[in-house]
Amino acid sequence: MNAPMSDREKALMGMGESRLRKEDARFIQGKGNYVDDIKLPEMLHMDIVRSPVAHARILRINKEEALKVPGVIAVLTAEDLKPLKLHWMPTLAGDVAAVLADGKVHFQMQEVAVVIATDRYAAADGVEAVEVEYEELPVVIDPFEALKPDAPVIREDLVGKTEGAHGKRYHHNHIFTWDAGDKEATDAAFASAPITVKQDMHYPRVHPCPLETCGCVASFDPIRGELTTYITSQAPHVVRTVVSMLSGIPESKVRIISPDIGGGFGNKVGIYPGYVCAIVASIVLGKPVKWIEDRIENLSSTAFARDYHMTGELAATADGKILALRTNVIADHGAFDACADPTKFPAGMFHIVSGSYDIPSAYCRVDGVYTNKAPGGVSYRCSFRVTEAVYLVERMVDVLAQKLGMDKAEIRSKNFIKREQFPYTSAFGFEYDSGDYQTAMDKVLNAVDYKGLRAEQAIKRADPDCPTLMGIGLVTFTEVVGAGPSKICDILGVGMFDSCEIRVHPTGSAIARMGTISQGQGHQTTYAQIIATELGISSEVIQVEEGDTHTAPYGLGTYGSRSTPVAGAAIAMAARKIHAKAKKIAAHLLEVSEADLEWEIDRFKLRGNDDKFKTMKDIAWAAYNQPPEGLEPGLEAVHYYDPPNFTFPFGAYLCVVDIDKGTGETKIRRFYALDDCGTRINPMIIEGQIHGGLTEGFAVAMGQLLSFDKQGNIQGNTLMDYFLPTAVETPKWETDYTVTPSPHHPLGAKGVAESPHVGSIPTFTSAMVDAFAHLGVTHFNMPHTSYRVWQQLKAVGLAS
Amino acid sequence: MEVVLDKKYPVAAGLESSWAVLSNMHELATCMPGAQITEDVDATHYKGSVRVKVGPAVAAFAGTIEILTLDPVTRTLKMLGKGADKSGSSASMALTAVLVPAENGHSTLEGHAEVIVNGKFAQFGGRMMTSVSDMILLQFAEVFSQKAQALQGPAPVAPAAAGAEDAAPVAAPAAPVVAKEFNALAFVWVMIKKFFADLFGRKA
Repeated sequence: MNAPMSDREKALMGMGESRLRKEDARFIQGKGNYVDDIKLPEMLHMDIVRSPVAHARILRINKEEALKVPGVIAVLTAEDLKPLKLHWMPTLAGDVAAVLADGKVHFQMQEVAVVIATDRYAAADGVEAVEVEYEELPVVIDPFEALKPDAPVIREDLVGKTEGAHGKRYHHNHIFTWDAGDKEATDAAFASAPITVKQDMHYPRVHPCPLETCGCVASFDPIRGELTTYITSQAPHVVRTVVSMLSGIPESKVRIISPDIGGGFGNKVGIYPGYVCAIVASIVLGKPVKWIEDRIENLSSTAFARDYHMTGELAATADGKILALRTNVIADHGAFDACADPTKFPAGMFHIVSGSYDIPSAYCRVDGVYTNKAPGGVSYRCSFRVTEAVYLVERMVDVLAQKLGMDKAEIRSKNFIKREQFPYTSAFGFEYDSGDYQTAMDKVLNAVDYKGLRAEQAIKRADPDCPTLMGIGLVTFTEVVGAGPSKICDILGVGMFDSCEIRVHPTGSAIARMGTISQGQGHQTTYAQIIATELGISSEVIQVEEGDTHTAPYGLGTYGSRSTPVAGAAIAMAARKIHAKAKKIAAHLLEVSEADLEWEIDRFKLRGNDDKFKTMKDIAWAAYNQPPEGLEPGLEAVHYYDPPNFTFPFGAYLCVVDIDKGTGETKIRRFYALDDCGTRINPMIIEGQIHGGLTEGFAVAMGQLLSFDKQGNIQGNTLMDYFLPTAVETPKWETDYTVTPSPHHPLGAKGVAESPHVGSIPTFTSAMVDAFAHLGVTHFNMPHTSYRVWQQLKAVGLAS
Repeated sequence: MEVVLDKKYPVAAGLESSWAVLSNMHELATCMPGAQITEDVDATHYKGSVRVKVGPAVAAFAGTIEILTLDPVTRTLKMLGKGADKSGSSASMALTAVLVPAENGHSTLEGHAEVIVNGKFAQFGGRMMTSVSDMILLQFAEVFSQKAQALQGPAPVAPAAAGAEDAAPVAAPAAPVVAKEFNALAFVWVMIKKFFADLFGRKA
């Protein structure tokens, strides 16, 4: 009856426990249920005719031969969508994008027509048989070329429009100018500063490349007038709202279901032409229609990430105190502006670019530009454009240190926002919630014997016969996640809150329904752990449901590390409502006043009396059969949490590389990652998230690249070329942590999944450049493939 | 995808016979496996097609050829070829070919070509473009040489082989056999062999 407290605590498997994932039982047995596993009666299949060229007028589309292919039922082009006004669709960024090319193609692999057939093979044969005649137009791949006065006009539909969704457009290929900070104060600081440094850098175009590609099964019921769509979406509720707005079907008759999702990383936030066409086809044909991308389509046409051409500048005193930061970005958005950012922030949270440093004056400006490339610009495992910002500031601090002959750690110490300065308002207006950067960095430097590493490096640099170059990278980053306060953050006008509904059943188990959607983050486990600790119910008997808009409360979804900061808070708040009601019931059952009760793990007890108590299980039963007079039966609550602020997780990462002087081959000798995500909910899941994020960071820094030739042909859109590291290539990760809770979050948690990606990428570059630093090299661009490093070795005369 | 090629091939025939092949679009086209002229639009414009067989599938390119220069004095041909398949994957080539005399009364075909390929072939074949072009051109040059040789009659070094010294073009001996379509799979096999040969060649 009265088990020891430690046993009861253990039985809950609540916050702080590295309990195994509840999802694993199905995932490791191959019993997950992904979109492509959905098979509905009479289901048809769709495949897409795509443009082989990057920029051309469509002279003629001939469907005849395709319609003769056995099994082909319909071929749709922009002409067929026009009567429905669905040949163009709005994007999340306030632009429009062609659903099917309307007279012109803007990038290679753009959707031109769709073929619907009785099976997948017939659909593919149909695609081969569609004849399209193009008149090729001049192609612009480089955003700087795109801004020249005589550059070809990419978006003829916008000709004459000098006002875009984010203000003035000064050129036919210009999308927006966005800036933040104080330009005058910053320029003044630069004008009078004793030391200034400037560096150009390109954060190349990469792709999140989730293991599961995008796809959907759209099923319209013509009798009931209801549309059900199974879809690979990181934001099912937003999809429901958009589908309702585009189709005219009442939102109550649109049901969006995101089943198990095989990784998203930002790639599954947007709404793609394939989804729209499958839905239209289902409505027109009255049958379910499935569309699943193949790998080449995924890499070529659904949202890419990054592609920022950045110039960073720092002004400083002669002893290394930073006085000002200035940065200018040309952002290549491709042919349509389909970035997924909060509406008011066309460059996302790029203004976190002052990083972990106390910089008095700062200014940043981002210009979005159209080119003949696929649209996108999503947050690939990061909060909106935070990866780009962190990369820039961390690189610039290194560049400044190099100019001053200072050590990387020393210059960081000198400029950190100090622990006692929190909450700290940055020059860009962010209010950093909490942080302790010095402690985090010191812990890392001690763990790796930083001084010893520098001594080893000095010996190797002095030895001309040493076959390798040794580089040490150091990064101390701050992220901004958990978008976000609805007074400044919205998507299509919907505030970026999130939600939770908890029902405790009569026998003491519970279900929680959420507005978020897991893509591998382990929500079913961590959310249950939060409820377990808040309500004293074992996480084992708490079910978590997400992704079905018919049952889940409205939420903005999972991306930008927002699940724990926003939805995690909603869970805590909903659980606390239940907790408050449970206390009333306990007081009633024990016939004492609420003030005399105290909470202990899984029960309310009479203060100081271990024998007089009611467990949550007792209370749940009572809630359904003998609630106190005046209290309604049942034990459930809903909470919509609108965060008062973002959260600011941080970390300190160190990397040691050894580069073969002859071949450019790089060995990651050591990678030490310390993360502070505030309160830790499941340390094992955090560890897994960090390993995943570091591995994706390694991929971006060392190999991933979507490149194009002059004609706009995408080079390397298969996994033969696009680098997806496996256990063979991936280095060994060492992880560590500190805990600095967020003061404004109900649990103190900050979110963690993206920090390792954001933080590791500049760490790799920092290490690679450091290997060449004694030769006067201040920067070179990613990816650091052996070939490119070898070219660098040649440039400094080390390799022949 | 853009490739610039500068090549020289020996032709086992004199300038006159070689020029007869080079200046005749129909003859020239059939030097390319799978290629043919389908229509003479006018003296300088032609329509043509190329068939490429990849396993069981056949890709057909249809296009146009424009003769920019045809100079019998300098024996120079400048032409522009453009084509696309049904789905719109396209290729274009700006070619300058010159015949110059070589030893033994033979000649040399010098070519400068700027080739632009768009679509599927450019996406997947980027890294192979140069070696593929090399091999196609090698085949082309072989057939070209055979045709020129046939026009000229049997080579002086082997007079017994095929009769009359004064062989007129119409009386050409055994015409070279040219494939009706370019077999890409067979080609890939040759390339793989070449790749390994290069690999071991380099190590040796």
